[in-house]
Amino acid sequence: MSKIIGIDLGTTNSCVAVMEGGKPKVIPTAEGRNLIPSIVEPVKNLVGDVAKRQMILNPGNTIYSIKRLMGRKITDHEVVKDKKILPYKIVAGKNEMVMVEVEGEKYTPQEISAKILQKAKTDAEGYLGEKVTEAVITVPAYFNDSQRQATKQAGEIAGFKVKRIINEPTAASLAYGLEKKKAETVAIYDLGGGTFDISILELGEGVYEVKATNGDTHLGGDDFDQKIIDWICDEFKKDHGIGLKADAQALQRIKDAAEKAKIELSSSKETEINLPFITQSKDGQPLHLTQKLTRAKLESLVDDLIEKTVRPVKDCLGDAKLEAKDIDEVILVGGQTRMPKIQEKVKELFRGKEPNKSVNPDEVVAMGAAIQGGVLAGDVKDVLLLDVTPLTLGIETLGGVSTPLIERNTTIPTSKSQIFSTASDNQTQVEINVLQGERPMAADNKSLGRFILDGIPPAPRGIPQIEVAFDIDANGILNVTAKDKATGKERSIKITGSTGLAKDEIEKMTKEAEEHADEDKQKKEKIEARNLADNLVFTAEKTLKDAGEKVSGDDKKVVEEKIKELKETISKEDAVIDEIKKKTEELSGVLQKVGAQMYASTSPGQGGSTGATQDQQPAEEESKKEKKSKKKDEAKKEEAEEGEVVNE
Amino acid sequence: MIGSKKDQEVKNLKGQIEDFENKWKRALADYRNLEKRVQENQIDFVKYANAKLVDKLLPILDDLERATAHIKEKGLKLILNQFRNVLSSEGVEEIKILGEEFNPVTMDCVEMTKGQKNQVVEVIQKGYTCQGKVLRPAKVKVGRGK
Repeated sequence: MSKIIGIDLGTTNSCVAVMEGGKPKVIPTAEGRNLIPSIVEPVKNLVGDVAKRQMILNPGNTIYSIKRLMGRKITDHEVVKDKKILPYKIVAGKNEMVMVEVEGEKYTPQEISAKILQKAKTDAEGYLGEKVTEAVITVPAYFNDSQRQATKQAGEIAGFKVKRIINEPTAASLAYGLEKKKAETVAIYDLGGGTFDISILELGEGVYEVKATNGDTHLGGDDFDQKIIDWICDEFKKDHGIGLKADAQALQRIKDAAEKAKIELSSSKETEINLPFITQSKDGQPLHLTQKLTRAKLESLVDDLIEKTVRPVKDCLGDAKLEAKDIDEVILVGGQTRMPKIQEKVKELFRGKEPNKSVNPDEVVAMGAAIQGGVLAGDVKDVLLLDVTPLTLGIETLGGVSTPLIERNTTIPTSKSQIFSTASDNQTQVEINVLQGERPMAADNKSLGRFILDGIPPAPRGIPQIEVAFDIDANGILNVTAKDKATGKERSIKITGSTGLAKDEIEKMTKEAEEHADEDKQKKEKIEARNLADNLVFTAEKTLKDAGEKVSGDDKKVVEEKIKELKETISKEDAVIDEIKKKTEELSGVLQKVGAQMYASTSPGQGGSTGATQDQQPAEEESKKEKKSKKKDEAKKEEAEEGEVVNE
Repeated sequence: MIGSKKDQEVKNLKGQIEDFENKWKRALADYRNLEKRVQENQIDFVKYANAKLVDKLLPILDDLERATAHIKEKGLKLILNQFRNVLSSEGVEEIKILGEEFNPVTMDCVEMTKGQKNQVVEVIQKGYTCQGKVLRPAKVKVGRGK
């Protein structure tokens, strides 16, 4: 059974999305972009970006904003208005329905839209690697029956079975899962490239119905860009007395720079517009354009445009017989809503209500359509929401380090296991301290529980294999098991509520981790250096012992000397990390020489070089084992101090 | 009576099991497909990973070219060549179009002007391909003919 894709068939741009693994995902076009310009050249059969690039060349043949004409009659007020602006030929067809004429051929708006939908279909099939025959297509809430029919027809001409036509604001609400939150009234503030739409929806019988709509069909991001372009040119004229608008090259650069600046000012307080060699002065000297544009200045430039959205919002509320305070949720749609001032204005209009904007405003409608498609396909009867574990889970290992096993934000249910080992020779038990948190040191994280696995057969340190497994089920219950692979003996602990932390608690812990990141990193590095040094001392001593006669007296002395130095260094509480590292390297160096000698003097197949082999183990795992073991060492020491006899 | 109630329960449970099995299989299938796609994407990603970075550098190349047109300094020319060589080594190629027929795949028409119909009359901004794919279409003025 194939997937049902969701298509946002927009006036300026279209977007396609599909459900994947229970989540909506935007399908990139063949050009690698997420949006398809809603532009068609029916003679040469060009659609999208390619059609856009030859628009100026071919204004009579390039159809854009066809959505304005869908399902309309030639006598409609909107059509009469648009006919004055649109450069292509608009004529009457059957029953006075609008048609476009290109090189003598007449096309219905459906046929033109179908070409856009056709491209969406082809790109989707290319991406998904399978045939796509069904789609959900969105329309503005104010579209009447004729317009909806036309849209459905367009889909059918493109080769789709149109499973449903849904309203854009409803799709946006679906994308935010508002019906799950049971938000009674929702307002959608949609400011795109060329049009502004405000809609108010009400939840009734589990479905959203449109109560009222309003807007401005000729107000969008492009107008904002124009304000900046005008300002740049005016400022330059003031400074240099030269007009730039007549210069095609300069104007193009300014246009690009204006859009870039606008976008940057959504995240920065100011930006610099730098266009070197923009033009020449009267005496042939090159002139450069350097202007600083602050967010405040931009806001003042576009203030009247933003104000233009206020009246429609107020009228819409009036038509819905509601007040701003009655609105439960506000959604932002359309790229221009990324502007902070707009978000501020929206918040102000709706009495301080924080608008929903986490979903990409250019894609939110397509996402919602995809969700609807998923529901209709039956694989999302109930949008199955899987939980995630909010904080990292792990255990305490050698040196008081927190070793993660399941990273935060991992979707559950899930399980992960890892092999650890002992710290000391003949260590017969290990303590598992289950930790939750982002800090690298165990003491700074939350201990969810502890248990001990004993009965480990005596063996040299690092030899036993203890498999520690973390398993979180769909309900968030964590089971931690420690198993000795040699004996098969295992112990486990069950922890509930590991995912049920309060939101602010999670935020607090995450924030603390960020704040202490640097010092934590240093602490951890120091411990790791110590562990490495400790391990090397052990290895070196063992190697010398095993080597016996194979090492000359002098060489042996050199190694023993280095061992002593390193031991001394790490015995100091406040040993500097660089010192530890240096001494470790020195010992490592002389030890390798000895190891090489042993190989030279030994026939193959001898097992006497266990010391050297151990060094070759992946450092990570090795040190992990060591870390883990040291903890046991400390645990044992503690127990001994408490008077318990620890069986060696 | 009890019997049929039990039967009904069994029927319901069987239905549920089938439903869960299907959903599970679907989820698994989605996962497998995603894995495949991730693998494919990675190959693509490696191929075009640098394209975005190169795209950011193109305006600087434009400005350097403007500078060398105005400033006759040998050192500057050397820098420009150096920059061009580095880009070339990353698979970046200039789209050669002056005098060519307009092609919307590689070009973006920003203005119509006097000149032979459909021919590129002036290059406003150079276009480049990266690894064979159009990175930035050239912005051009096209002739409008008679």
